[in-house]
Amino acid sequence: MNNETVIFEKIAIAVAFSPRCEAILAEARLLQQTFGSKLVFIHVGKKSLQEEQYLKHLLHRFGLDHTLNKIIWREGDPVETILEICQTEKIDLLVTGALEKESLLKYFLGGISRQLSRKVKCSMLMLTEPNIHPTGFKQIVVEGTDHHKTENTIAVAVAVAKSYHSGKVHIIQETDLSKLALIRSEELKENEADFRKQQLLKEEDEKLEKILRCTDCGDLKLAVERIEGKPGYVISKFARDCGADLLVVSSPDKQMNLLDRVFPHDIEYALSDLPCNLLIVHPKDLD
Amino acid sequence: MLIVARLFGEFFRKLKMPLVVGELVAGVVLGPTLLGNFYPEFSDLIFTKNMNASVALSGIVNISAIMLLFVAGMELDLSLIRQQGKAAFTTSSLGLIIPLGLGFVAAYFFSGYFGNNSSDLLAFSLFMGTAMSISALPVIARTLMDLGLFRTRVGSIIIASAMLDDLIGWILFSMTMGMLKGSTSHNVFFTLLYTVSYAVLMLTVGRILINKSLPWAAKNFSWPGGFLSLSLGMAFLGAALTEYIGLHAIFGAFIVGIAFGDSVHVTEKTKDIVTQFVTNIFAPLFFVAIGFKVNFIVNFDLQITLLVISIAIIGKVSGSTLGARLGGLNNKESFAVGFGMNARGAMEIILAILALQAKLIGEELFVAIIIMAVVTSVMAGPMLQWLLKTKVMVDPEKS
Repeated sequence: MNNETVIFEKIAIAVAFSPRCEAILAEARLLQQTFGSKLVFIHVGKKSLQEEQYLKHLLHRFGLDHTLNKIIWREGDPVETILEICQTEKIDLLVTGALEKESLLKYFLGGISRQLSRKVKCSMLMLTEPNIHPTGFKQIVVEGTDHHKTENTIAVAVAVAKSYHSGKVHIIQETDLSKLALIRSEELKENEADFRKQQLLKEEDEKLEKILRCTDCGDLKLAVERIEGKPGYVISKFARDCGADLLVVSSPDKQMNLLDRVFPHDIEYALSDLPCNLLIVHPKDLD
Repeated sequence: MLIVARLFGEFFRKLKMPLVVGELVAGVVLGPTLLGNFYPEFSDLIFTKNMNASVALSGIVNISAIMLLFVAGMELDLSLIRQQGKAAFTTSSLGLIIPLGLGFVAAYFFSGYFGNNSSDLLAFSLFMGTAMSISALPVIARTLMDLGLFRTRVGSIIIASAMLDDLIGWILFSMTMGMLKGSTSHNVFFTLLYTVSYAVLMLTVGRILINKSLPWAAKNFSWPGGFLSLSLGMAFLGAALTEYIGLHAIFGAFIVGIAFGDSVHVTEKTKDIVTQFVTNIFAPLFFVAIGFKVNFIVNFDLQITLLVISIAIIGKVSGSTLGARLGGLNNKESFAVGFGMNARGAMEIILAILALQAKLIGEELFVAIIIMAVVTSVMAGPMLQWLLKTKVMVDPEKS
């Protein structure tokens, strides 16, 4: 592992004392070793001597109990409290555990991890299968859709992949042609419709090529693929089908609410059924 | 009818006008306006002598309207509306409320100026409001594409706003038609209740069920032929259900179309097959048949036509422009949004024919609305180009 590119200087870990708590701390240690980050452990709930001792024991066990790291205990609404801490502590990356799929009711009401992902103003890593012996991310799928955040998202994904020596990085251009169907219904000739489609796709390709030219990919194996379909859904399906262990997407442009779950789009497709670990990249300059 | 419609459609397309204009003109040529007027015996022999032909034509018109609205529903992208946020919401709200209000007030207080229409003043006024507020997505999308604005912020706002306006417009129209049924069980409250309940149920539970069942259907049916049967079958079921509960059949098909179009399992290719099937067979028949309904020369009234065009343009352009301005766009972009949203196209024509069939409007007003739909569709492109000083995309045949 190398830590030449510090992309996450300060990482917050949401600690919930769940059965996966140990595995999440193990993953946190790997993140710290990889990126040389400072860690902030956040627990929202009443402080009890038993839990305090247990956390100290775990941190000691994983070698995370040095003075650079910080533990914050707070009472209050878990989501709001964690969001507030992330802002005051200037966190670059929030790490939480997350179930692949929540019950329908919980999904619509919003579990803590998913609520955070919709509101947080920093990048967020949702770990669906944290491992007590983490191995990093070997196969990464990245969103390469034509959007102003994509350049930063690809840069972060590439840096993560380089740091973890990932085997392969798939950059997926999701192409939603539903708007193009509107024009087809206006009776274009076949070659005319195809010409318009090609023109749109060519523009997207050129933008992505430019981004990749400007990104230092080193020895990474990059595979650029275009998939037609609903953005968010197709990349999520691709990540599941190819057995990726990390899906990297841009943060949503606006805060998602209940209506976005009823009429899902983009990241909501991934959140409804996480295909693997999910890294939501939030550009720093947007804060 | 189909061949003449295609010939006229292609001719008008060469003149850079919407295909629907050519199809309408084909109807005018074949209908009572020209052929029926100059060669009545010949016209009778083909179209009216055999009563069965008239019944069949009427059936085709009804089926076509249901299918057209199903396709219009499939084109609607609810997530796009959600994504565009404040600018789309304000553009859409004011782009709906102002023309709706203007149309309603004009019809309610000055109904005498609009010719002989339904005596149900409330339903007639509501219809006029709706007719002034609806927009034509395909015309708008094509215009934006021609001007290279399709993927810009302005373009996305125009499309999302037009989609929202259409959704609300068809709900309003369905309610208006429900009110016309006249029985006590179809008062405003129940019509509203049925409309909203049907829309909410279909767009939530129905949409999820359709999305879940499509992979199974794709696995077990021949595809995309199976989709064609399944989706159109569901559209007719939805149409039958809404007709049964006292709403108009087209509303049922429209909402089923939205539910199908939103599914992640429906690809562009699949949608394209349904769209091509409907727009190349049923749409031309529908628009030609419109020409059979009315004598366009006898029923042309300059005063009504100018009045309708003025209200339509003033209401829609001012409302959408104001909305876009409040949504954060600059003056020029806001005017571009206003004129983009002003295109009415085929949807307006469908609305008008259904109102004519229901005897909600008279023939003079019908002709005026058709002319307004054509004028607003044709003027959208040049106005957008002038306002945004964009270049029209290169024609592939010339490139």
